[in-house]
Amino acid sequence: MKLAAAFLGVVIASLLTIAMLFTAGWVRPPILSTQVGFRGLAMNQLTTPAARSKLELANALPEAVPPAEPGGPLAVDTYKNVKVLTDLTTVQFNTLMAAITTWVAPNEGCGYCHNTDNLADDGIYAKTVARRMIQMTRHVNKDWKAHVANTGVVCWTCHRGNPVPANVWTNGMGWPQAGGFATTNYGMGHPDAANGSTAMTQDPYTALNDKSVIRVQATKALPANSNGASIFATEQTYSLMIAMSQGLGVNCVFCHNSREFGQWPESTPQRLTAWHGIQMVRDLNGAYLDPLKTVLPASRLGPLGDAPKLNCATCHQGANKPLLGVSLAKDYPELGGTPAK
Amino acid sequence: MSAFENIYTQVQVWPEKPELGVAGVPVEREKGALFNYLAGVVGNAQIGPIYLGTLGVLSALCGFIAIEIIGLNMWASVHWSPIEFVRQLPWLALEPPKPECGLCVLAPLNEGGWWQMAGFFLTMSILLWWWRMYRRAKVLGLGTHVAWAFASAIWLFLVLGFIRPLLMGHWSEAVPFGIFPHLDWTAAFSIRYGNLFYNPFHMLSIAFLYGSAVLFAMHGATILAVGRYGGEREVEQMIDRGTAAERAALFWRWTMGFNATMESIHRWAWWFAVLVPFTGGIGILLTGTVVDNWYLWGIQHGIAPAYPHLWPPVIDPAATGAVQ
Amino acid sequence: MAMLNFEKRYRVRGGTLTGGDLFDFWFGPFYVGFFGVTTLIFTLLGVAMIVYGAAIGPTWNVWQINIAPPDLKYGLALAPLKEGGLWQIITVCAIGAFVSWALRQAEIARKLGMAYHVPIAFSFAIFAYISLVVIRPVLMGAWGFGFPYGIISHLDWVSNTGYQYLHFHYNPAHMIAITFFFTNALALSMHGGLILSASNPPKGDRLRETEYEDTFFRDAIGYSVGTLGIHRLGMFLAVSAAFWSAVCILLSGPFWTHGWPEWWNWWLNLPIWR
Repeated sequence: MKLAAAFLGVVIASLLTIAMLFTAGWVRPPILSTQVGFRGLAMNQLTTPAARSKLELANALPEAVPPAEPGGPLAVDTYKNVKVLTDLTTVQFNTLMAAITTWVAPNEGCGYCHNTDNLADDGIYAKTVARRMIQMTRHVNKDWKAHVANTGVVCWTCHRGNPVPANVWTNGMGWPQAGGFATTNYGMGHPDAANGSTAMTQDPYTALNDKSVIRVQATKALPANSNGASIFATEQTYSLMIAMSQGLGVNCVFCHNSREFGQWPESTPQRLTAWHGIQMVRDLNGAYLDPLKTVLPASRLGPLGDAPKLNCATCHQGANKPLLGVSLAKDYPELGGTPAK
Repeated sequence: MSAFENIYTQVQVWPEKPELGVAGVPVEREKGALFNYLAGVVGNAQIGPIYLGTLGVLSALCGFIAIEIIGLNMWASVHWSPIEFVRQLPWLALEPPKPECGLCVLAPLNEGGWWQMAGFFLTMSILLWWWRMYRRAKVLGLGTHVAWAFASAIWLFLVLGFIRPLLMGHWSEAVPFGIFPHLDWTAAFSIRYGNLFYNPFHMLSIAFLYGSAVLFAMHGATILAVGRYGGEREVEQMIDRGTAAERAALFWRWTMGFNATMESIHRWAWWFAVLVPFTGGIGILLTGTVVDNWYLWGIQHGIAPAYPHLWPPVIDPAATGAVQ
Repeated sequence: MAMLNFEKRYRVRGGTLTGGDLFDFWFGPFYVGFFGVTTLIFTLLGVAMIVYGAAIGPTWNVWQINIAPPDLKYGLALAPLKEGGLWQIITVCAIGAFVSWALRQAEIARKLGMAYHVPIAFSFAIFAYISLVVIRPVLMGAWGFGFPYGIISHLDWVSNTGYQYLHFHYNPAHMIAITFFFTNALALSMHGGLILSASNPPKGDRLRETEYEDTFFRDAIGYSVGTLGIHRLGMFLAVSAAFWSAVCILLSGPFWTHGWPEWWNWWLNLPIWR
């Protein structure tokens, strides 16, 4: 009996060890590294050749659509019910439509948004969404240069051939709990893709759809008027930052000198870009994505009835510059991109 | 090379009857002892007998209640799924009340009330256990050094879960129950209060923690190395110095010019170990109550190195606008 | 008072590791020996380099002095003296001094007819140091991965290296190492306390023997590991703490580049949960 128990223990331990060794995703040298800060400060980014090529593969560019010839009549005169792209010529309009099909619905084709019997018909909800998304893209390229610079964004940046981008979020239900008088833990204590398998909140993105305070550190050495947050709020911010890191494929020291996360003089210029990114995502979620809940069918909404929203991973998809810094927008002035000169 | 190297006990000699304890002590110890081969490889083969007593039973009862509250709440947090309970066990939590609760006496059960109860029973269990350690030493006519060392650990425990939250005015400042949740708390605590590495009492605590490892490695290894001369009989060697004690002392004297004695090494040991939680507790107690950002405190006191700037200064974009 | 009253009969020449009697003498309380001389040379050179590094640096503030390793761009090559070269020399000196010290301990143990537990235990600490400044940098391909020599700057290195993995507490080897450190402190306090309590009974009471020590811990926790066992346990806990510390940093980077919390997905994704 004792022997059998010992044997069973050894077998289970061996199986777990094997699973740990072969399924955890260990890497091995060579390691590719980038130094960010002063030498010896360990502000480094790490990756492997295999991970690097995987990222490059995932960021392969879509088939290019030939640019539109200039001139010709305006689309608004050629087609019926053109409401947003009123400034485009017919040729530009058609070029853009072709590009959007490649980017967003390559398998579904025009019929994903349009009634193919009457392209002007607004019957399909996807067309209403697409209009709003075109407005959003133009807004980003025009008003959010602080974050997207002249690189800009196009539909492909997020969609990558999927009608719904792979990385969107909705408010979660959290892990199903017994309820009643048992502890709620305020949504903490369960590993999740969003919280990076920590035990912190499963809903790290809520701060991207409201104005909640992200800064948690005391701004003065001593407690008087030092603006520090609660430990609970700190864990909320920490899990948001982990989610950001994972979306961007970087670690904490890409933006911060971790000896003092809050101090701007200790931070890298990337933190500035990221800060504008958070403001941008809040703007887009509030003005464009969240209101779509009235347009989208129930199957597209989250379990709590809110519309899918953006986070960093939506565009970045594991790269600190989306599409590894390649600008598609410069070829598409139709979407408000800044042309390369 | 067949010298007595003292790695493990090669030949175990078990008495016919277990040693039941010293005579003249009021409690009769008649059963509850057994021999175990593996234990005998490292140290004594005899396991037990254990003394229960009123304090021990009460302590175990309180500990059991605390573990039950924690465990059942964790199980409830996965909707009583036994599989998910095992799968997520390291992540499962019993969180303290939210900040809004302040120092509320009894928070709603589902929002920290259970945490308060578990904390109460765990504290009772630990305090009763301390009393028990004290009593056992007294009954045997020993000094109470072990109990007071234990008190140092209890100090840290009380600072983390009771004294500091009391001073801060929020139970929410306390540590949650749970394996990974308490690690998240630790990391968040350091971030929120501006990097615990800049807290001098944290530095001291870590120095004593590492120092304890160094001391036990030095002391353990020395005694084992003179084991062939009977060095492990430390109390006897104190009053009747043998060649083991002499060699052990000379080893360190020749190595680093200084040696402890058979007694004083245990004073070094006791103080190092006791100062780990003692200084650590002070460091935690000062955090948030007296100092709110240790890095900025370090800047004020000139301990933070300035690294050469490799890029133009980054300025807070919200400095002129609202705080984000 | 260079000599204890019983010391003279132990001060016997011979029994050195290197053979012969080179430097086989005492200086004050210290034994010198061949490895004492090498320790001294490495130490003097290393400390001189540290002082030089501080002198060419911006500060004499002892907290802020920072002698940093080279930039990553130098890879595993030698760096200019003022840009990490000093760090490289100091590292060589430190390893030389530590290893000499261990060999000196072995020599002294040999002269005193003791076993080699102390140098073996110390070698675990040396291994942890070498892991940080040699093995891991070599695996990662640059000396720049070593930690800087400075009181606060090495803490900044620890902080940033930890946050390269988002949340270092989730590193399983780090968990094991910390558990060993804490258990070691616990066992040390219990051992120190027990011996002091047996040798310092209440006033007027007699000294307590080993039976009392055993009875105390059997009464209290059901097991007394015994006089010999506690030293085996203590040495095991202490060297394990050092060993797993080395493992936890050797895994971080060379064998794991993501956040450590993610590592646990293997457990979450085991087929048995389905």
